[in-house]
Amino acid sequence: MYLVFELLQQTAVIIVIAYLFSKSPAMDYLSGAKLQRRQLLVLYIIFSLFSILGTYTGLPIQGAIANTRAIGAVLAGLIGGPVLGLSVGLTAGLHRFSLGGFTAFSCGVSTTVEGLIGGLVYLYLVRRKKPEQLFHPFVAFSTTLIAEVLQMSIILALARPFGDAVALVKVIAVPMVCANSVGAALFISMIRDQKRVRDKVGARFSSKAFTVADRTLGILSQGFSSETAREMVEIIRQETGVGAVAITDRREILAFSGIGADHHHAGNPVVTKWSKEALLENRVVFANGYDEHFQCPLAETCPIGSVLVVPLQVDQEVVGTISLYEPKTKLFLNINRSFGEGLATLYSHQLLRSRFEEQKSLLVQSELKLLQAQVNPHFLFNALNTIMAIVRKDADQARELLMQLSNFFRTNLKRKRDTVTLEEELAHISSYLEIEKARFGERLTVNQEIDPALLTLQIPVFTLQPLIENAIKHGIADLLDHGQIWVRAYRQLGLVVIEVEDNAGHYSKPIDTQGLGMRLVDQRIKNIYGNEYGLIVDCEPQQKTLVQVRLPLSEELINDSCVNH
Amino acid sequence: MIRALIIDDEQHAREELELLVQETGAFEILGSCANAIDALRRIRTEKPELLFLDIQMPVLNGFELLAMIEDELMPHVVFVTAYDEHALKAFEEKTLDYLLKPVSRERLLKTVNKVRETIRRGEPPYYQVEPLRHIPCQFANRIKLIPAADVEYVYSDLTGIHLVTSEGQFFTELTLKVLEERTPLLRCQRQFLVNPDKIDEIKLLENGLAELKTQLGHILPVSRRYLRQLKVRLKL
Repeated sequence: MYLVFELLQQTAVIIVIAYLFSKSPAMDYLSGAKLQRRQLLVLYIIFSLFSILGTYTGLPIQGAIANTRAIGAVLAGLIGGPVLGLSVGLTAGLHRFSLGGFTAFSCGVSTTVEGLIGGLVYLYLVRRKKPEQLFHPFVAFSTTLIAEVLQMSIILALARPFGDAVALVKVIAVPMVCANSVGAALFISMIRDQKRVRDKVGARFSSKAFTVADRTLGILSQGFSSETAREMVEIIRQETGVGAVAITDRREILAFSGIGADHHHAGNPVVTKWSKEALLENRVVFANGYDEHFQCPLAETCPIGSVLVVPLQVDQEVVGTISLYEPKTKLFLNINRSFGEGLATLYSHQLLRSRFEEQKSLLVQSELKLLQAQVNPHFLFNALNTIMAIVRKDADQARELLMQLSNFFRTNLKRKRDTVTLEEELAHISSYLEIEKARFGERLTVNQEIDPALLTLQIPVFTLQPLIENAIKHGIADLLDHGQIWVRAYRQLGLVVIEVEDNAGHYSKPIDTQGLGMRLVDQRIKNIYGNEYGLIVDCEPQQKTLVQVRLPLSEELINDSCVNH
Repeated sequence: MIRALIIDDEQHAREELELLVQETGAFEILGSCANAIDALRRIRTEKPELLFLDIQMPVLNGFELLAMIEDELMPHVVFVTAYDEHALKAFEEKTLDYLLKPVSRERLLKTVNKVRETIRRGEPPYYQVEPLRHIPCQFANRIKLIPAADVEYVYSDLTGIHLVTSEGQFFTELTLKVLEERTPLLRCQRQFLVNPDKIDEIKLLENGLAELKTQLGHILPVSRRYLRQLKVRLKL
């Protein structure tokens, strides 16, 4: 009975060791991934020492030692496989052998065998694709139980004189079998619990990170401004639970939320040395609150005690910072630190993307402006030639045409706004078409079918002109006679469709400036409204070319179309 | 008086040029045409000395019209265009002169002098023309452009010149001579041209004659005179 109590005391030691182990970096090795050679070496040393410790804490009985040496060897086999189990068993076995006694040899052999048994169980479970069972306390318990029974048999088989061996086994068998099995089960159960806690924290952290990213990235894509920053700091603070969050640009605070908001205002210049350092040196700055205290330069009573400042960068250039703060009464969690750094990287990528998008759209805009301001020489000289001929016959018509020509160029030159109403755009192209009608005479007829409700619709400026020019140049001008152009605007399935059709059917992949115009118009509409809108070209050779502009149908127009139909 | 023809697809442009040309008093205007096919007919019947030729025209442009004119009928040419884009740069040395629309009186007078000078020197007009890739054919009030490579053979009879393709027969204004010179078609008999890529077999007959079978199974006669040329061209 005394022996059982003694061995139980030893298991208490085991639990302490298991606890220490679970807090050590070696715990990371037990993630389930295949172990590296270096990691195996570390585990070998730990479990060998553990096993040898089991020998030393044992009780000398009748010239032998009742002990918990088996636990280290069996667990090494279970966790690291046969090689590790055998190595630890052999090491602890040799050590036991060197201590002497009449069971020295048999105990040395049996410890080695016990390590091997752990390893065999490991192999069995891995091959059966049940590696998670390795961390089941019951498996550890049964394996150790079998190993200990085997040890007793080996002692009986190898230790001489046999009579002494029998007497010894009678005394130590039950307590050692129980103590070792229970000890191994406890050790494994301890490790398993620690693993679970870690996984849970990891999962919560990931899901939090995803939530914040999901909620803030959309906001950021609208631009990096004090409005978007204000929404973002609220979300980050809610989700992370840190004391306060701030976003700054290079000079001032764009938004601040949380403790100390009474004196940390949006619009204040960046004053703390931590933020300045992050901005200047483009690196993460951290004052953890005990090695380095955050000191508010604004107010003595500021409750903030620790800070993490992460620079936001676009193309290696720092454009601002994100800061997380904790009060003096709270520790800055490591998890929030890595979280803040990850978030800043994510935002930096998003900012780069936004800048790229913005530049792409600016490029399209300026190319279009350039194209629009360019006088199409063919159009101009043919128009002047036509008017010169008409002047001889009909001065009034010539005057009228000159008026149209000057209207056309005036609008092209002075349009400042980005959008116009459909009515204005139609008026613009009708100046153009009037002149072309005079030029081509009976060879050109223009038909318009416009839904009157759409006349007030705002469309990007210069949307129709490239389409009309294309229909004339690559359509009507190629026909001997009976050229027709249709201009239509109507509503269809939640879309506004504006189309230009000609009866030439000569559309081919355009490579000249006209084609460039159509491509830019398409690109701009996609930039503004999204990829499901833009230009669609349908060409039946020798029959027709139809170019459709598809735009989203706005709310009021949807309501209006319900009333009408 | 220089006998001139005006060719432009736009009515106002034609009328304006007619008036300006008339004003110079140097020309007898034979007429004005709105397209290349009409112009080709007028050139054959009126035999003008000079063309005022617009470049941008529907279906067949000015350069393509030149490619359809037989060498001995070729008039002098003054190109007229609204905008000197690229074509004229390369054409500048080969053409007599060119005018930009709207045409000014002063500039036209310079042209008149140039034309008079050239005609007095008696130099025959020669324009290096592009090979014809398409052959214009009359087709139910439209002009259909048949790719030269699609033509199986061409024959002439009392009604005119006919192209035979896998899609049927088409009537063309072009002469056998122009087609022989400006397309890859080969003469095999006085009244026949054949597309060498469409020959299926050549059967040699007695007394130096031969027969051609085309891929569509048409049998064409080959005269003694053209058999020799054909053999050389086909490297037989």
